[in-house]
Amino acid sequence: MFSLFLENLRISLSAVLANKMRSLLTALGVVIGILAVTLMGTLISGLDRSFEKSMEFLGKDVLYIRKFEWFGDKEWWEMRNRPNIKIKHADVIRDRSRYAKYVAPVSEWYTSVKRGENDIGGVRVTGTTDEYAMITTAEIEKGRFFSNSESRSGSRVAIIGKDIADNLFDKENSIGEKIRIGNYTFRVIGETEKQGKFLGMFSLDKQIIIPIGTHQRLFTRRGWTGINVKVDGNQIGDAIEELTAMIRQLRHIRPTEEDNFALNRQDPFKEQYAMIKLAIGGTGFFITVLSLVVGGIGIANIMFVSVKERTREIGTRKALGATPKMILGQFLMESVTICLFGGLMGMGLAWGGSFIIDQYFPSDMPFGLAFTALGLSVFVGIISGLAPSYKAAKLDPIDALRYE
Amino acid sequence: MSLISLKNIYKIYNVGGEEVRALDGVDLTIKENEFLAIMGPSGSGKSTLMNMIGCLDTPTSGLYEFEGEKVHEMDDNQLASIRNRKIGFVFQTFNLLPKATAQHNVEIPLIYGNVRRDLRQAMAADALESVGLEDRMHHKPNELSGGQRQRVAIARALVNRPSIILADEPTGNLDSKSGTEILEIFDILYRAGNTIILVTHEDYIASHANRTIRLFDGKIQEDISTTA
Repeated sequence: MFSLFLENLRISLSAVLANKMRSLLTALGVVIGILAVTLMGTLISGLDRSFEKSMEFLGKDVLYIRKFEWFGDKEWWEMRNRPNIKIKHADVIRDRSRYAKYVAPVSEWYTSVKRGENDIGGVRVTGTTDEYAMITTAEIEKGRFFSNSESRSGSRVAIIGKDIADNLFDKENSIGEKIRIGNYTFRVIGETEKQGKFLGMFSLDKQIIIPIGTHQRLFTRRGWTGINVKVDGNQIGDAIEELTAMIRQLRHIRPTEEDNFALNRQDPFKEQYAMIKLAIGGTGFFITVLSLVVGGIGIANIMFVSVKERTREIGTRKALGATPKMILGQFLMESVTICLFGGLMGMGLAWGGSFIIDQYFPSDMPFGLAFTALGLSVFVGIISGLAPSYKAAKLDPIDALRYE
Repeated sequence: MSLISLKNIYKIYNVGGEEVRALDGVDLTIKENEFLAIMGPSGSGKSTLMNMIGCLDTPTSGLYEFEGEKVHEMDDNQLASIRNRKIGFVFQTFNLLPKATAQHNVEIPLIYGNVRRDLRQAMAADALESVGLEDRMHHKPNELSGGQRQRVAIARALVNRPSIILADEPTGNLDSKSGTEILEIFDILYRAGNTIILVTHEDYIASHANRTIRLFDGKIQEDISTTA
């Protein structure tokens, strides 16, 4: 039976190659279908990876005490009028909370950074304490974080992100070197490892961390502030309750009044992300199914044409001893071959497309999905080839031989 | 023992509510190593008879035995199998696969007969050699003359060592020189012991046969043997 399989394969390939343009146009639906499903898979895998990393950056057991809610239906202007988070409350939380393991106040300011001729604008300068190192997942790659005493005093020391290091120092040693942040000279004491972008939006590496005392004195007392609290991941509910009560008390909020601060964490991100993923997946699925159905109809149509064109050949083959099953196999094979060509072409295009996606979300084409896609094109080939092949198999040999 | 035995064969078509008796009670016995010519005007039923003998068609009623096998009871698969093993077809229009080489064309019945590749190639080469085309094995039909194409078709009919060779107007599409060559090949095959059934309306072609039957209105009108 293997030689019959080879023969059918040979016939299919020569039929497809003899009508290159026709086969290509026919397979277009399958190409688009496979392209859609594979690109979608690549995109989702990239998003997943990027999202995982971003969520890792936030940490699953870290609460972010902020003025603004990250998610929710509060009006922006309502939150805008809330009082800023007070840095000194960090010390109160550290002293009184049962659940807080590490507490780091943060204050942010955007400015430019210079070293000699090199100059970067829009760098996020974060003032914090030494405990920040225990909360963040970003590792120190070179040098060190600042100490407790440095964070209290006004030391002008800085830990620079990967983008800053690459821009200002290229491949030179940065530790101990001087840089200018805004109008002030700082000494670099550490470099953080590369972290990538947060949800593909902004770079986490274009950041400089300095002691909060220095930050407050040199840059701002009124800027953007918050407190990051690392708690025990198993007691996060209790921790939220305790911290909410504590801050309400510190802010003298009456029981009838609403909170005028936010305790943010990563979970709502996950919910939002699951919805986005569902939307992308749903759209991709819809496009895939639609184009495969339309493509399948096109293939069925062209297979009917092919059977018609080769009626005499079918008659001859039957006279020479081909059984109905063998003829069925021959035309099914042809239909599957067209679909497989389409599928491979779609995969090729998707592979190219995955490089473009990779620019935004580090990703690669999921191989399992690629093979599923190929399987899917074979399936479409069989389904759409079934009716025409059956027709060919059932042809009366005499009529077929007489067909002009 | 007779090779082919047709008893009281009827083939009745219904064309536009009217009954057409393409074969109207045919009895025919063909023995091994006969060279039979079937003649008759158009519409006489000779094509129907040929299709019947070739197991492409089954009778409406009657008994058809091919080497003792009851053809009238066979389904499509069994008919395909008997065509594949026992009958070699030669068509007026050659019916070669245009994209396949002569060698590959001749191999087709063997592929359907599930013959091993190496054996298949050897058998195809033998068959092509027996029709004098050993130097044209790798040519495609469009690189061959009409006579050569028909010789490829004869090689294809021979390759399975069939019990009968069934030729439908084999010279109808050829010039007289090529036609003569083809008839000479049939003569040689006949002398080598093959059974040949030839459908024609030309007397000079029928004269190569040792037995001629004439059909008229679905009945055998004449059955003449000429012992050569």
